[in-house]
Amino acid sequence: MSKNRFVGFFKSIFSGLEESSTSIIEKDLQETENIFAIITTGAFIGIPLPSTGILLRILPYMQREIFVMTKRSKEMDDVFGEIAGMFDID
Amino acid sequence: MKIRFVLGKGGVGKTTVSAAIGVGIAESGKSVFLSSLDPAHNLGDALSVKLSNKATTVNQRLKAVEINTESIIKEYLSEMSQKLKTTYRYLYTMNLDKYFDILKHSPGIEEYAILESIQKTIHTEMADILIFDTPPTGITQKVLALPKLTLIWVERLIKMRKGILSKRQMIKNVRGEYSAVVGDELVELPTEEEKDDIMIELKKYGKELHEIDEILSSQDTTIYIVTLPEELSLFETERILTFMNEFKIHVGGIFLNKVLRIENPPREIAGKIKEQEYVISEMAKRFSGIKITEIPLLESSPRGTKALYKLYKEYIEEGL
Repeated sequence: MSKNRFVGFFKSIFSGLEESSTSIIEKDLQETENIFAIITTGAFIGIPLPSTGILLRILPYMQREIFVMTKRSKEMDDVFGEIAGMFDID
Repeated sequence: MKIRFVLGKGGVGKTTVSAAIGVGIAESGKSVFLSSLDPAHNLGDALSVKLSNKATTVNQRLKAVEINTESIIKEYLSEMSQKLKTTYRYLYTMNLDKYFDILKHSPGIEEYAILESIQKTIHTEMADILIFDTPPTGITQKVLALPKLTLIWVERLIKMRKGILSKRQMIKNVRGEYSAVVGDELVELPTEEEKDDIMIELKKYGKELHEIDEILSSQDTTIYIVTLPEELSLFETERILTFMNEFKIHVGGIFLNKVLRIENPPREIAGKIKEQEYVISEMAKRFSGIKITEIPLLESSPRGTKALYKLYKEYIEEGL
């Protein structure tokens, strides 16, 4: 095996690992964004709010979080499937 | 600038005392701004002047306003609705009106509006003394506690937001940029605190809350409690004092209103007089470090600046 092929082999393993860990961070990030939205916009779904004042201040900038939250609620029927997919479990 | 809050149960005479303090101090040469935060306004009735949501000049040194919390909430939500239409460009299909209907009736919104109007008055009115005639105790306590309690949440949310931004930054480090889907579009999202609007707003709100909390617990802010010589009022006053102590808000004194001094009281009110004497002696014992000023039950309710000034001179001035 030439040196280049050897380096290439490890590079591809590394990039695979890198992509997979980035996806896990991305999932974790979405989850945190979702929780952030649930905590701050709780009044919309019947969860007591930290303070209405906070929501009134940040609501104009919450489009991403609200999008994640509504998307997550739509996907709630297959939470286990999603987790299994994240860890490559068939 | 000095700030005075007049606090007490409903119907104890907060408005009359606030108005008398305002009229009296204005007469002494200082400029006074009198603001009624009680949704059941009658500050205008006490002053015999028609008041509204906008400051009205009562005399050379006295201005007064009756704050309409409902219209503040409406105004605030309509401003925000406009803001949302421009910022939510990716989610314009969302039924935002539905959310606004919920927000209008959201718990805590009234207290938020009252606190906002207190802040606004402090920042805009240039009077020597600001006097707030407050809503009944329960709501006022919530309003006064709001900055400290909200600050705890703001600090936690800032911490959480930092976590979100740092994860975004990690992804950006690997991929060169951080974009995510919002609505139907792929959008580049902020990864730094200085560029994230939510973080900017949370920090700004936190700073404002710190400021108002410092103002509330400063020596220039004083609470006056108005109460009645009745047992229930005694318990309530005790609870107010515990609360103020907990939140480090300075109490300037207690006005014991509608005290009826009568020799040989008729049988029908003898029990009431006995209760009154008990409450007066208990108050002196329990609240020994606080000035208690008696205001007698007057023949008629003082209305208009002249009658209020007389009340101030005869009974209230010594209690300040």
